[in-house]
Amino acid sequence: MIAHDFDYHAPRSLADALALLGQADAAVLGGGTWLVPNMTYGRQRPSAVVDIRRLGLDAIEIAGDIVVGAGVTYRQVLQSEALRAKLPLLAMMAGQVTGGPQIVGQATLGGSACYANPSSDVPACLVALDATLRLASRTGHREVKAADFYTGAFQTTRRPDEMLTHMVFAPPPGGAGCGYHKLKFSTGSWPIVTAACIAVAATDGGPRHRLAVGGANAVPVLLEIDGRDPDEAVAARLPSLISQEWSDEFAGAGYRRQVAPAIASRALRQARGAR
Amino acid sequence: MSRPSIDLALRLDHRDVVAHVDGRALLIEAIRDLGARSARIGCLTGDCGACTVLLDGQPVKSCLVLAAAADGREVVTLEGSASAIAETVRRAFIAKKGFQCGYCTSGMILVAIDLLEAFATPTEADIRSAISGNLCRCTGYDDIVSAIADAAEQLSAKAATRESPEIF
Ligand SMILES: Cc1cc2nc3c(=O)[nH]c(=O)nc-3n(C[C@@H](O)[C@@H](O)[C@H](O)COP(=O)(O)OP(=O)(O)OC[C@H]3O[C@@H](n4cnc5c(N)ncnc54)[C@H](O)[C@@H]3O)c2cc1C
Ligand code: FES
Ligand code: FES
Repeated sequence: MIAHDFDYHAPRSLADALALLGQADAAVLGGGTWLVPNMTYGRQRPSAVVDIRRLGLDAIEIAGDIVVGAGVTYRQVLQSEALRAKLPLLAMMAGQVTGGPQIVGQATLGGSACYANPSSDVPACLVALDATLRLASRTGHREVKAADFYTGAFQTTRRPDEMLTHMVFAPPPGGAGCGYHKLKFSTGSWPIVTAACIAVAATDGGPRHRLAVGGANAVPVLLEIDGRDPDEAVAARLPSLISQEWSDEFAGAGYRRQVAPAIASRALRQARGAR
Repeated sequence: MSRPSIDLALRLDHRDVVAHVDGRALLIEAIRDLGARSARIGCLTGDCGACTVLLDGQPVKSCLVLAAAADGREVVTLEGSASAIAETVRRAFIAKKGFQCGYCTSGMILVAIDLLEAFATPTEADIRSAISGNLCRCTGYDDIVSAIADAAEQLSAKAATRESPEIF
């Protein structure tokens, strides 16, 4: 039983939802896989919960840009052949989410994007794919690049009255390869370091790589690397970009910085191989 | 002190129920109070899967769902699972000793049914992945996996007989 009183709303229009979010202390409910246990254990105590499930934010639209609703679950990502073909990185990521088929079907990409847990899979993927996040509030809409969205552990530029409605991706150029690698200590445990990479063939000087490392730092770390021997560049540049190293009970200070280049190199290799 | 309560109308194990529940309740708490006791409360963090039920046909961990969010929806627990697949999985758990204390069993059987409804011939890896969100504190995983594999085999054998032309 949740200890505090709160109002539950499942509005049918975005305007109603945004009006409710304008009240103090309201929280958006996506799949609830974080919010609900946080409320059960008293870590989040919103006075109102605004459920997005009737807002139609669970669609994947592919027409030029790829628009993924905030309420899309990992299962929907895995089941959409069109999305898998356009953004295989998202499917690779979703295929490695733990917690069983229940979590895969319940948890949303938008929830993970907004929670900004350094150990989550979604944020670094959004940064690697250069996603644009659409935020809506009573006072208007705005778009933020994923790389600018994350400001600290569990912190984003989202205001409390704003809802993430969609994540928008430009399709990677034809022939682009992608890789996703994560280090974890057991099958079901939280990732220690994740690395997501997109490799695009260039006419001269070898492929261009866009690499985002998650888990290692308070916010995802972005590296853009050109050339045929990117491993050296990763080893040289990545450790110093980890300026707010994340550490927890799974891996103490210094560990993630040390292993991050090896994990990043594996994602790079996979991205080049898959091209 | 009186707490704000809500009216909840849902279909629980194929019965329409209308109940007055505490607005702070989790779905697992509401359905257990309504008599569906096969779903269990374990961790309330989403980790153990003992609270697994089908919500509108999808397996969910019902400790992660607010009771209020289930209004107008359909919940099926192990007690309401009566298909041939469900029956076969249940018997296979007994035959293969797929449980010790039994606390995790209803969740395990529900995810197994969900798996076998989607894939008639799962590999061992498919089975392990299907139960990866369910913890057995007695750690009897091998027997659970072999019970599910056994159920899959029995169901495919039955399907093969059904498909044979002599039946018609
Ligand atoms: C057993 C288990 C295993 C897990 N395994 C993994 C894993 O392998 N990898 C991983 O990355 N994560 C994992 N998770 C964490 C998982 O809960 C998140 O990844 C999930 O995607 C969160 O989504 P949600 O929809 O459930 O979020 P919610 O709980 O609904 O919301 C999370 C937070 O974001 C806010 N929010 C939600 N949607 C919006 C929105 N549209 N706009 C604004 N704010 C919003 C909420 O208010 C809340 O603060 C696991 C969780 C469990 C319980
Ligand atoms: S009680 Fe719901 S997952 Fe453990
Ligand atoms: S049989 Fe005891 S928890 Fe699984």
